[in-house]
Amino acid sequence: MDAIKVLIYIAIFPGFLFQSVFSTYLEWLDRKLYARMQNRLGPLYTGWNGILQPVADILKLFAKEDIVPASADKFMFNLMPVLSLASVFAAGLYLPIWHLTSYNSFEGDLIVVAYLLAIPSFALFLAGWFSVSPFSLIGATRVLTQLFAYEVPFFLALLTPAVMAGSWKIATISSYPWTSGSWWVIPVQLIAFGVALLTLQAKLERVPFDSPEAETEVVGGPLTEYSGKKLGMFRLQKDILLFVGSALVAALFLGGFGGGIILGCIQLVLKTIFVVILLSVVRAACARIRIDQIVTFSWKYLAPASLVQLLIVLLIKGWKGVA
Amino acid sequence: MLKRLVKWARVKSPWILHFNSGACNACDIEILAALMPHYDLERFGILLKASPRHADVLICSGPVTKQVAKRLKRIYDQMPEPKFVVAVGACACSGGAFRGCYNVMEGVDQVIPVSAYVPGCPVKPEAIIDGVAKLLGKLQQSAA
Repeated sequence: MDAIKVLIYIAIFPGFLFQSVFSTYLEWLDRKLYARMQNRLGPLYTGWNGILQPVADILKLFAKEDIVPASADKFMFNLMPVLSLASVFAAGLYLPIWHLTSYNSFEGDLIVVAYLLAIPSFALFLAGWFSVSPFSLIGATRVLTQLFAYEVPFFLALLTPAVMAGSWKIATISSYPWTSGSWWVIPVQLIAFGVALLTLQAKLERVPFDSPEAETEVVGGPLTEYSGKKLGMFRLQKDILLFVGSALVAALFLGGFGGGIILGCIQLVLKTIFVVILLSVVRAACARIRIDQIVTFSWKYLAPASLVQLLIVLLIKGWKGVA
Repeated sequence: MLKRLVKWARVKSPWILHFNSGACNACDIEILAALMPHYDLERFGILLKASPRHADVLICSGPVTKQVAKRLKRIYDQMPEPKFVVAVGACACSGGAFRGCYNVMEGVDQVIPVSAYVPGCPVKPEAIIDGVAKLLGKLQQSAA
Protein backbone atom coordinates (compact mmCIF):
# COMPACT_ATOMS: atom_id res chain seq x y z
CA MET A 1 0.00 0.00 0.00
CA ASP A 2 2.76 2.39 0.97
CA ALA A 3 4.59 1.66 -2.26
CA ILE A 4 1.50 2.57 -4.30
CA LYS A 5 1.05 5.74 -2.28
CA VAL A 6 4.64 6.81 -2.87
CA LEU A 7 4.27 5.99 -6.56
CA ILE A 8 1.18 8.21 -6.73
CA TYR A 9 3.08 10.98 -4.95
CA ILE A 10 5.93 10.77 -7.43
CA ALA A 11 3.88 10.25 -10.59
CA ILE A 12 0.71 12.23 -10.02
CA PHE A 13 0.09 14.77 -7.33
CA PRO A 14 3.10 16.68 -6.19
CA GLY A 15 5.14 14.83 -8.77
CA PHE A 16 5.45 14.54 -12.51
CA LEU A 17 1.90 15.08 -13.79
CA PHE A 18 0.85 17.91 -11.50
CA GLN A 19 4.15 19.74 -11.90
CA SER A 20 4.07 19.51 -15.70
CA VAL A 21 0.46 20.64 -16.04
CA PHE A 22 0.58 23.41 -13.46
CA SER A 23 3.92 24.75 -14.69
CA THR A 24 2.64 25.07 -18.27
CA TYR A 25 -0.31 26.99 -16.85
CA LEU A 26 2.13 29.27 -15.01
CA GLU A 27 4.07 29.88 -18.23
CA TRP A 28 0.84 30.85 -19.98
CA LEU A 29 -0.03 33.20 -17.11
CA ASP A 30 3.43 34.74 -17.25
CA ARG A 31 3.32 35.24 -21.01
CA LYS A 32 -0.19 36.64 -20.88
CA LEU A 33 0.65 39.12 -18.12
CA TYR A 34 3.85 40.10 -19.89
CA ALA A 35 1.87 40.71 -23.08
CA ARG A 36 -0.83 42.72 -21.31
CA MET A 37 1.82 44.91 -19.68
CA GLN A 38 3.26 45.57 -23.14
CA ASN A 39 -0.19 46.51 -24.42
CA ARG A 40 -0.51 43.25 -26.39
CA LEU A 41 -2.93 40.35 -26.12
CA GLY A 42 -0.55 37.45 -25.86
CA PRO A 43 -1.45 33.88 -26.91
CA LEU A 44 -5.12 33.91 -27.91
CA TYR A 45 -6.19 31.10 -30.22
CA THR A 46 -4.71 27.95 -28.68
CA GLY A 47 -7.39 26.67 -26.35
CA TRP A 48 -9.30 29.09 -24.10
CA ASN A 49 -7.44 32.43 -24.41
CA GLY A 50 -4.36 30.53 -25.51
CA ILE A 51 -4.08 28.54 -22.31
CA LEU A 52 -2.71 25.53 -24.22
CA GLN A 53 0.04 27.56 -25.92
CA PRO A 54 2.93 26.22 -23.77
CA VAL A 55 1.60 22.68 -24.27
CA ALA A 56 1.53 23.17 -28.04
CA ASP A 57 5.07 24.58 -27.99
CA ILE A 58 6.45 21.63 -26.06
CA LEU A 59 4.51 19.01 -28.09
CA LYS A 60 5.77 20.56 -31.32
CA LEU A 61 9.34 20.54 -30.08
CA PHE A 62 9.06 16.89 -29.07
CA ALA A 63 7.86 16.00 -32.58
CA LYS A 64 10.65 17.82 -34.38
CA GLU A 65 13.88 16.53 -35.81
CA ASP A 66 16.62 16.16 -33.21
CA ILE A 67 20.00 17.40 -34.43
CA VAL A 68 23.26 16.70 -32.63
CA PRO A 69 26.02 18.91 -34.07
CA ALA A 70 29.03 17.03 -35.40
CA SER A 71 31.44 18.93 -33.17
CA ALA A 72 29.45 18.38 -29.97
CA ASP A 73 30.27 15.84 -27.28
CA LYS A 74 27.42 13.40 -27.89
CA PHE A 75 27.16 11.89 -24.41
CA MET A 76 27.14 15.16 -22.45
CA PHE A 77 24.99 16.89 -25.09
CA ASN A 78 22.32 14.21 -24.67
CA LEU A 79 22.65 13.87 -20.91
CA MET A 80 22.25 17.52 -19.87
CA PRO A 81 18.54 18.09 -20.72
CA VAL A 82 17.57 14.89 -18.89
CA LEU A 83 19.72 15.76 -15.88
CA SER A 84 18.33 19.27 -15.49
CA LEU A 85 14.73 18.10 -15.92
CA ALA A 86 15.21 15.28 -13.38
CA SER A 87 16.76 17.57 -10.79
CA VAL A 88 13.93 20.12 -10.85
CA PHE A 89 11.34 17.31 -10.66
CA ALA A 90 13.16 15.87 -7.66
CA ALA A 91 13.32 19.29 -6.01
CA GLY A 92 9.57 19.66 -6.49
CA LEU A 93 8.93 16.46 -4.55
CA TYR A 94 10.26 18.05 -1.36
CA LEU A 95 7.77 20.91 -1.38
CA PRO A 96 5.38 20.75 1.56
CA ILE A 97 2.25 21.00 -0.57
CA TRP A 98 0.23 18.18 0.93
CA HIS A 99 -0.48 18.87 4.54
CA LEU A 100 2.01 21.05 6.24
CA THR A 101 4.63 18.49 5.39
CA SER A 102 5.67 16.48 2.37
CA TYR A 103 5.77 12.69 2.58
CA ASN A 104 9.55 12.52 2.33
CA SER A 105 10.65 15.54 4.33
CA PHE A 106 13.56 15.26 6.71
CA GLU A 107 15.79 17.57 8.72
CA GLY A 108 17.96 19.42 6.22
CA ASP A 109 15.86 19.05 3.08
CA LEU A 110 16.13 22.81 2.48
CA ILE A 111 19.81 22.27 1.67
CA VAL A 112 18.96 19.37 -0.63
CA VAL A 113 16.41 21.48 -2.50
CA ALA A 114 18.85 24.40 -2.79
CA TYR A 115 21.41 21.96 -4.19
CA LEU A 116 18.92 20.39 -6.62
CA LEU A 117 17.90 23.84 -7.82
CA ALA A 118 21.55 24.69 -8.52
CA ILE A 119 21.98 21.67 -10.83
CA PRO A 120 19.94 23.10 -13.76
CA SER A 121 22.31 26.08 -13.98
CA PHE A 122 25.32 23.77 -14.08
CA ALA A 123 23.57 21.56 -16.62
CA LEU A 124 22.91 24.63 -18.74
CA PHE A 125 26.56 25.62 -18.48
CA LEU A 126 27.76 22.13 -19.45
CA ALA A 127 25.17 21.95 -22.25
CA GLY A 128 26.54 25.14 -23.75
CA TRP A 129 30.13 24.08 -23.13
CA PHE A 130 29.82 20.70 -24.82
CA SER A 131 27.84 21.89 -27.82
CA VAL A 132 31.02 23.71 -28.94
CA SER A 133 29.81 26.75 -30.81
CA PRO A 134 31.04 30.30 -30.18
CA PHE A 135 27.62 31.55 -29.12
CA SER A 136 26.93 28.70 -26.77
CA LEU A 137 30.39 28.99 -25.21
CA ILE A 138 29.90 32.69 -24.45
CA GLY A 139 26.42 31.92 -23.12
CA ALA A 140 27.78 29.10 -20.96
CA THR A 141 30.46 31.26 -19.36
CA ARG A 142 27.81 33.90 -18.68
CA VAL A 143 25.60 31.27 -17.02
CA LEU A 144 28.45 30.38 -14.68
CA THR A 145 29.37 34.02 -13.96
CA GLN A 146 25.76 34.75 -13.18
CA LEU A 147 25.58 31.68 -10.95
CA PHE A 148 28.39 33.11 -8.80
CA ALA A 149 26.47 36.35 -8.60
CA TYR A 150 23.04 35.16 -7.46
CA GLU A 151 23.67 31.89 -5.66
CA VAL A 152 25.07 33.34 -2.41
CA PRO A 153 22.33 35.97 -1.94
CA PHE A 154 19.76 33.26 -2.77
CA PHE A 155 21.13 30.95 -0.07
CA LEU A 156 21.37 33.83 2.43
CA ALA A 157 17.76 34.73 1.71
CA LEU A 158 16.66 31.11 2.24
CA LEU A 159 18.67 31.07 5.47
CA THR A 160 16.55 33.82 7.05
CA PRO A 161 13.30 31.89 7.55
CA ALA A 162 15.34 28.83 8.52
CA VAL A 163 17.02 30.77 11.31
CA MET A 164 13.66 32.23 12.31
CA ALA A 165 12.07 28.80 12.64
CA GLY A 166 15.23 27.22 14.02
CA SER A 167 15.12 24.33 11.56
CA TRP A 168 16.52 23.17 8.24
CA LYS A 169 13.31 21.38 7.36
CA ILE A 170 11.10 23.13 4.78
CA ALA A 171 7.98 21.67 6.39
CA THR A 172 8.89 23.07 9.84
CA ILE A 173 9.81 26.47 8.39
CA SER A 174 6.63 26.81 6.37
CA SER A 175 4.43 25.65 9.24
CA TYR A 176 6.18 27.95 11.76
CA PRO A 177 3.53 30.71 11.56
CA TRP A 178 0.76 28.09 11.85
CA THR A 179 2.19 26.21 14.83
CA SER A 180 3.56 29.17 16.79
CA GLY A 181 0.84 31.62 15.76
CA SER A 182 3.41 34.30 15.06
CA TRP A 183 2.27 35.69 11.71
CA TRP A 184 4.40 38.80 12.19
CA VAL A 185 7.37 36.87 10.76
CA ILE A 186 6.03 37.47 7.23
CA PRO A 187 6.32 41.30 7.24
CA VAL A 188 9.59 41.04 9.16
CA GLN A 189 11.15 38.93 6.40
CA LEU A 190 10.13 41.29 3.61
CA ILE A 191 13.73 42.16 2.65
CA ALA A 192 14.70 38.50 2.32
CA PHE A 193 11.52 37.91 0.30
CA GLY A 194 12.56 40.62 -2.13
CA VAL A 195 16.09 39.26 -2.40
CA ALA A 196 14.75 35.73 -2.95
CA LEU A 197 12.44 37.02 -5.72
CA LEU A 198 15.23 38.83 -7.55
CA THR A 199 17.68 35.94 -7.24
CA LEU A 200 14.99 33.52 -8.39
CA GLN A 201 14.53 35.74 -11.41
CA ALA A 202 18.28 35.50 -12.03
CA LYS A 203 18.16 31.72 -11.57
CA LEU A 204 15.40 31.52 -14.17
CA GLU A 205 17.44 33.77 -16.48
CA ARG A 206 14.58 36.12 -17.17
CA VAL A 207 14.76 39.86 -17.84
CA PRO A 208 16.66 41.79 -16.36
CA PHE A 209 19.04 38.91 -15.69
CA ASP A 210 18.80 37.24 -19.12
CA SER A 211 22.25 38.13 -20.41
CA PRO A 212 23.23 34.39 -20.74
CA GLU A 213 20.60 33.93 -23.43
CA ALA A 214 20.42 37.44 -24.83
CA GLU A 215 19.15 36.94 -28.40
CA THR A 216 20.62 40.19 -29.64
CA GLU A 217 24.13 39.24 -28.50
CA VAL A 218 24.63 35.50 -28.29
CA VAL A 219 21.76 34.06 -30.41
CA GLY A 220 20.29 31.44 -28.06
CA GLY A 221 23.03 31.35 -25.43
CA PRO A 222 23.85 27.86 -24.17
CA LEU A 223 20.82 26.44 -26.01
CA THR A 224 21.88 27.75 -29.44
CA GLU A 225 22.64 24.28 -30.80
CA TYR A 226 19.72 22.49 -29.17
CA SER A 227 16.71 21.48 -31.23
CA GLY A 228 13.77 19.13 -31.08
CA LYS A 229 13.01 17.20 -27.93
CA LYS A 230 16.11 18.27 -26.05
CA LEU A 231 15.11 21.91 -26.45
CA GLY A 232 11.61 20.85 -25.39
CA MET A 233 13.04 19.29 -22.24
CA PHE A 234 14.94 22.48 -21.42
CA ARG A 235 11.76 24.46 -21.96
CA LEU A 236 9.75 22.17 -19.70
CA GLN A 237 12.57 22.34 -17.15
CA LYS A 238 12.40 26.14 -17.14
CA ASP A 239 8.64 26.03 -16.57
CA ILE A 240 8.96 23.57 -13.72
CA LEU A 241 11.79 25.59 -12.22
CA LEU A 242 9.45 28.57 -12.32
CA PHE A 243 6.84 26.55 -10.43
CA VAL A 244 9.22 24.94 -7.92
CA GLY A 245 11.09 28.17 -7.26
CA SER A 246 7.91 30.21 -6.76
CA ALA A 247 6.35 27.50 -4.60
CA LEU A 248 9.53 27.30 -2.49
CA VAL A 249 9.56 31.08 -2.01
CA ALA A 250 5.85 30.98 -1.16
CA ALA A 251 6.40 28.16 1.32
CA LEU A 252 9.27 29.90 3.08
CA PHE A 253 8.18 33.54 3.02
CA LEU A 254 4.40 33.59 2.60
CA GLY A 255 3.45 31.23 5.38
CA GLY A 256 3.29 27.89 3.61
CA PHE A 257 0.24 25.92 2.62
CA GLY A 258 -1.40 24.82 5.87
CA GLY A 259 -4.99 24.09 6.79
CA GLY A 260 -5.81 20.66 5.41
CA ILE A 261 -5.64 19.17 1.95
CA ILE A 262 -8.19 21.36 0.14
CA LEU A 263 -7.23 24.65 1.78
CA GLY A 264 -3.57 23.70 1.35
CA CYS A 265 -3.97 23.09 -2.37
CA ILE A 266 -5.87 26.35 -2.85
CA GLN A 267 -3.16 28.21 -0.98
CA LEU A 268 -0.47 26.49 -3.03
CA VAL A 269 -2.09 27.62 -6.27
CA LEU A 270 -2.86 31.16 -5.13
CA LYS A 271 0.47 31.87 -3.45
CA THR A 272 2.48 30.43 -6.34
CA ILE A 273 0.48 32.54 -8.78
CA PHE A 274 1.11 35.59 -6.59
CA VAL A 275 4.87 35.00 -6.74
CA VAL A 276 4.73 34.43 -10.51
CA ILE A 277 2.80 37.68 -10.95
CA LEU A 278 5.52 39.55 -9.04
CA LEU A 279 8.18 37.91 -11.23
CA SER A 280 6.25 38.91 -14.38
CA VAL A 281 6.03 42.51 -13.21
CA VAL A 282 9.80 42.56 -12.67
CA ARG A 283 10.27 41.04 -16.13
CA ALA A 284 8.03 43.57 -17.84
CA ALA A 285 9.35 46.59 -15.95
CA CYS A 286 13.07 46.05 -16.50
CA ALA A 287 15.53 46.04 -19.37
CA ARG A 288 18.44 43.64 -19.64
CA ILE A 289 21.53 44.55 -17.61
CA ARG A 290 25.05 43.53 -18.54
CA ILE A 291 26.73 40.54 -16.92
CA ASP A 292 29.18 42.72 -14.94
CA GLN A 293 26.27 44.83 -13.74
CA ILE A 294 24.53 41.66 -12.56
CA VAL A 295 27.57 40.66 -10.51
CA THR A 296 27.98 44.17 -9.08
CA PHE A 297 24.29 44.43 -8.25
CA SER A 298 24.22 41.04 -6.52
CA TRP A 299 27.31 41.56 -4.40
CA LYS A 300 26.85 45.26 -3.65
CA TYR A 301 23.16 45.30 -2.87
CA LEU A 302 21.53 41.86 -2.69
CA ALA A 303 24.10 40.12 -0.47
CA PRO A 304 24.37 43.00 2.08
CA ALA A 305 20.57 43.31 2.09
CA SER A 306 20.17 39.65 2.98
CA LEU A 307 22.86 40.01 5.67
CA VAL A 308 20.97 42.95 7.17
CA GLN A 309 17.83 40.83 7.12
CA LEU A 310 19.70 38.04 8.89
CA LEU A 311 20.86 40.53 11.54
CA ILE A 312 17.28 41.74 12.05
CA VAL A 313 16.05 38.18 12.50
CA LEU A 314 18.85 37.32 14.95
CA LEU A 315 18.16 40.49 16.97
CA ILE A 316 14.45 39.69 17.14
CA LYS A 317 15.19 36.16 18.22
CA GLY A 318 17.61 37.39 20.89
CA TRP A 319 15.13 40.01 22.09
CA LYS A 320 12.36 37.45 22.42
CA GLY A 321 14.79 35.11 24.13
CA VAL A 322 13.92 32.09 22.03
CA ALA A 323 17.36 31.56 20.49
CA MET B 1 -4.68 10.48 -32.97
CA LEU B 2 -1.05 11.22 -32.07
CA LYS B 3 -0.48 12.49 -35.60
CA ARG B 4 -3.44 14.85 -35.31
CA LEU B 5 -2.13 16.09 -31.97
CA VAL B 6 1.30 16.76 -33.42
CA LYS B 7 -0.24 18.55 -36.40
CA TRP B 8 -2.31 20.69 -34.05
CA ALA B 9 0.81 21.58 -32.08
CA ARG B 10 2.72 22.42 -35.27
CA VAL B 11 0.00 24.70 -36.59
CA LYS B 12 -0.43 26.43 -33.25
CA SER B 13 3.21 27.11 -32.53
CA PRO B 14 5.23 28.22 -35.54
CA TRP B 15 8.48 29.84 -34.43
CA ILE B 16 10.05 32.05 -37.03
CA LEU B 17 13.57 33.00 -37.96
CA HIS B 18 14.14 36.18 -39.86
CA PHE B 19 16.93 36.17 -42.42
CA ASN B 20 17.93 39.10 -44.59
CA SER B 21 19.18 37.58 -47.83
CA GLY B 22 20.37 40.84 -49.33
CA ALA B 23 17.25 42.97 -49.03
CA CYS B 24 17.22 46.78 -49.04
CA ASN B 25 15.86 46.66 -45.44
CA ALA B 26 12.37 47.86 -46.32
CA CYS B 27 10.86 44.37 -46.05
CA ASP B 28 12.82 43.75 -42.84
CA ILE B 29 11.28 46.83 -41.27
CA GLU B 30 7.85 45.61 -42.34
CA ILE B 31 8.55 42.16 -40.85
CA LEU B 32 9.55 43.82 -37.56
CA ALA B 33 6.42 45.97 -37.76
CA ALA B 34 4.38 42.77 -38.05
CA LEU B 35 6.02 41.48 -34.86
CA MET B 36 5.37 44.68 -32.92
CA PRO B 37 2.54 44.99 -30.34
CA HIS B 38 0.18 46.57 -32.87
CA TYR B 39 -0.24 43.27 -34.75
CA ASP B 40 1.05 41.02 -31.93
CA LEU B 41 1.81 37.77 -33.72
CA GLU B 42 2.16 36.00 -30.36
CA ARG B 43 -1.65 35.74 -30.50
CA PHE B 44 -1.11 32.90 -32.99
CA GLY B 45 1.78 31.45 -31.00
CA ILE B 46 4.32 32.92 -33.40
CA LEU B 47 7.59 33.77 -31.67
CA LEU B 48 10.72 35.25 -33.20
CA LYS B 49 13.67 32.97 -32.48
CA ALA B 50 17.30 33.86 -32.84
CA SER B 51 18.77 30.42 -33.55
CA PRO B 52 17.92 28.41 -36.70
CA ARG B 53 17.91 25.27 -34.54
CA HIS B 54 14.83 26.56 -32.69
CA ALA B 55 12.86 27.79 -35.68
CA ASP B 56 10.16 26.18 -37.84
CA VAL B 57 9.60 28.89 -40.43
CA LEU B 58 12.40 30.76 -42.18
CA ILE B 59 11.32 34.20 -43.33
CA CYS B 60 13.59 35.48 -46.10
CA SER B 61 13.60 38.98 -47.50
CA GLY B 62 15.66 40.00 -50.47
CA PRO B 63 16.93 38.72 -53.81
CA VAL B 64 19.55 36.22 -52.70
CA THR B 65 22.90 37.79 -53.55
CA LYS B 66 25.61 35.44 -54.75
CA GLN B 67 27.56 36.06 -51.56
CA VAL B 68 24.69 35.26 -49.21
CA ALA B 69 23.45 32.18 -51.12
CA LYS B 70 25.89 29.82 -49.40
CA ARG B 71 24.98 31.21 -45.97
CA LEU B 72 21.27 30.94 -46.72
CA LYS B 73 21.72 27.29 -47.69
CA ARG B 74 23.66 26.64 -44.48
CA ILE B 75 21.05 28.36 -42.30
CA TYR B 76 18.37 26.28 -44.02
CA ASP B 77 20.31 23.07 -43.42
CA GLN B 78 20.72 23.94 -39.74
CA MET B 79 16.96 24.03 -39.19
CA PRO B 80 15.37 20.82 -37.92
CA GLU B 81 12.61 19.11 -39.96
CA PRO B 82 9.77 19.86 -40.60
CA LYS B 83 10.70 23.32 -41.85
CA PHE B 84 9.08 25.90 -44.10
CA VAL B 85 10.33 28.93 -45.98
CA VAL B 86 8.36 32.10 -46.64
CA ALA B 87 9.75 34.48 -49.28
CA VAL B 88 8.75 38.02 -48.29
CA GLY B 89 8.84 40.81 -50.86
CA ALA B 90 9.01 41.04 -54.63
CA CYS B 91 12.79 40.56 -54.53
CA ALA B 92 12.58 37.34 -52.55
CA CYS B 93 9.88 36.00 -54.87
CA SER B 94 11.55 36.70 -58.21
CA GLY B 95 14.42 39.15 -57.89
CA GLY B 96 12.19 42.21 -58.11
CA ALA B 97 14.05 45.42 -58.87
CA PHE B 98 17.32 43.52 -58.90
CA ARG B 99 16.23 41.01 -61.56
CA GLY B 100 18.94 40.72 -64.19
CA CYS B 101 21.72 42.07 -61.98
CA TYR B 102 25.05 40.28 -62.27
CA ASN B 103 25.27 39.61 -58.53
CA VAL B 104 21.89 38.15 -57.51
CA MET B 105 20.29 34.71 -57.74
CA GLU B 106 16.81 36.14 -58.59
CA GLY B 107 14.71 34.72 -55.79
CA VAL B 108 14.97 32.54 -52.73
CA ASP B 109 13.62 29.50 -54.60
CA GLN B 110 16.79 29.36 -56.66
CA VAL B 111 18.64 28.21 -53.53
CA ILE B 112 16.18 26.52 -51.17
CA PRO B 113 12.59 25.22 -51.57
CA VAL B 114 9.99 27.89 -50.75
CA SER B 115 6.55 27.11 -49.27
CA ALA B 116 4.88 30.51 -49.54
CA TYR B 117 5.45 33.69 -51.53
CA VAL B 118 4.37 37.12 -50.27
CA PRO B 119 4.81 39.77 -53.00
CA GLY B 120 5.00 43.52 -52.42
CA CYS B 121 7.62 46.26 -52.46
CA PRO B 122 7.78 46.52 -49.54
CA VAL B 123 5.15 44.07 -48.31
CA LYS B 124 2.56 45.24 -45.83
CA PRO B 125 2.63 43.64 -42.38
CA GLU B 126 -0.94 42.47 -43.02
CA ALA B 127 0.28 40.69 -46.16
CA ILE B 128 3.01 38.89 -44.21
CA ILE B 129 0.50 37.75 -41.59
CA ASP B 130 -1.86 36.64 -44.37
CA GLY B 131 0.92 34.67 -46.04
CA VAL B 132 1.92 32.91 -42.86
CA ALA B 133 -1.75 32.20 -42.04
CA LYS B 134 -2.24 30.69 -45.52
CA LEU B 135 0.85 28.54 -44.99
CA LEU B 136 -0.56 27.33 -41.67
CA GLY B 137 -3.94 26.68 -43.31
CA LYS B 138 -2.27 24.55 -45.96
CA LEU B 139 -0.40 22.70 -43.24
CA GLN B 140 -3.67 22.10 -41.41
CA GLN B 141 -5.32 20.61 -44.50
CA SER B 142 -2.40 18.41 -45.46
CA ALA B 143 -2.44 14.81 -44.30
CA ALA B 144 -0.19 14.75 -41.23
